[in-house]
Amino acid sequence: MQFDIQYRPAHSLCKVALAPNESVVAESGAMVGMSTNVQMQTQSGGLMSGLKRMFGGESFFRNTFTAANGPGEVLLAHSLCGDMVVLDMTAPGYFIQSSSFIASTPNVNIETKVGGFKSFFAGEGVFVLKATCQGPGQVLVGAFGGIQELVCDGSLVIDTGHLVAWDSTLTYNVGKSGSGWIASFLSGEGLVCHFQGQGRIWIQTRNPAGYGQAIGELLPPRSG
Amino acid sequence: MQQMQPVPMAPAQPAAGVAHEITHGPSFAMLRVDLAPGQTLVAEAGAMVARNQHVQMAVKLNASPSAGFFAMLKALVIAFIRKFIGGETFIVNHFSAPQQGRVWLAPAMSGHIAHRRMNGEKLILSTGAYLAHVGNLDIAMKFGGLKGILAKEGAFWLEVSGVGDLWFTSYGGIEAVDIQQPFMIDNGHIVGYEGNLNMTVKRPGGGMMGLIASGEGLVCEFTGQGRVYLQSRNLDSLVSWLSPLLP
Repeated sequence: MQFDIQYRPAHSLCKVALAPNESVVAESGAMVGMSTNVQMQTQSGGLMSGLKRMFGGESFFRNTFTAANGPGEVLLAHSLCGDMVVLDMTAPGYFIQSSSFIASTPNVNIETKVGGFKSFFAGEGVFVLKATCQGPGQVLVGAFGGIQELVCDGSLVIDTGHLVAWDSTLTYNVGKSGSGWIASFLSGEGLVCHFQGQGRIWIQTRNPAGYGQAIGELLPPRSG
Repeated sequence: MQQMQPVPMAPAQPAAGVAHEITHGPSFAMLRVDLAPGQTLVAEAGAMVARNQHVQMAVKLNASPSAGFFAMLKALVIAFIRKFIGGETFIVNHFSAPQQGRVWLAPAMSGHIAHRRMNGEKLILSTGAYLAHVGNLDIAMKFGGLKGILAKEGAFWLEVSGVGDLWFTSYGGIEAVDIQQPFMIDNGHIVGYEGNLNMTVKRPGGGMMGLIASGEGLVCEFTGQGRVYLQSRNLDSLVSWLSPLLP
């Protein structure tokens, strides 16, 4: 399987080249186009895991695209303007901010993790995804804005609205940004993620909630 | 405002300015500032993307370093007024590190970030354009009056003066125009202009018909010699395009 990302960084589109009988699993609604010999199967993976995903800010269903009778192609896109990146799976795996997940090779196990009560406040949904894989595999993630890989060497503080994915070797906890709650509130930084350890973190250069707020306050109030 | 001798906030900056990098421009620009020990980065509230753990953050009202009690009071009052009329509250965050430290910043809108080394000249920024600064910059809020409202840049402008590094942001790309002769810019596209320029709000010409039908609304005419920064997109246009599409 080959991922080829085009139209970066603002309006990226991922071309997935499938060998005969190969599959790719994608978030529902991510498909832009596909060859006619590609078959789509919709799965919820059971009611509970579907519901769990839904609460996690993703969709209830996930689609599996399989190339039947020869090679095929699937085009995938994110709902927001921004870049995408393909992460090669590692043994420890990744944590992925739930709305950043777009697709993966079928051997990648995507678990919806309860990020805890604290992550509820973080405005990024109650859940984060944990991607793990036996052997080689890939995950496609999307961002709002550009994607920047940061190396955490010891510790790093990141605004929760800018998180895309991180190595699961890192420990993290969500907390206030400033020294006190009032200062944190006034600072406008809301909640931040404190990372500890060694690993990589992928961030998005725009904050979807921040953008929504900036535009939202200029829009007329909703009627009804 | 009281005139007092400015108290240096940070040791003298190197002539080349502060080490920094602007990436992901022009659509989704992000700024990384590499702080030397003792340097303080002042940034608009909410702009922080990431920072080293040891970089300390303190919330402050954006009064100038030389501000006395009354200037602080004025800043507080303006912060409250702005809370009501919209726009940034002008609460800022001060980032400082005992050792070297990095801070990443990004504005809320899609757009670019420009850096300008200020050497005592005056720069007027439209509200929302300010992102961050390092050094002895005085950032005063000025009431733009009817002119500011007509120019759709808000009732307030920011007047930046002093010596230091300034970063400002836009919706869309930023174009610097060096003006020799009078030059007109559509209202809503102004990011900032040098203080020695003169700005007047005008109709674009073509009489009443031109005002209504040209779609250009009002324009700002700049006279004198100096630099104007304009942005390639207009927030008002986005809002008026988006509004009818909403449920």
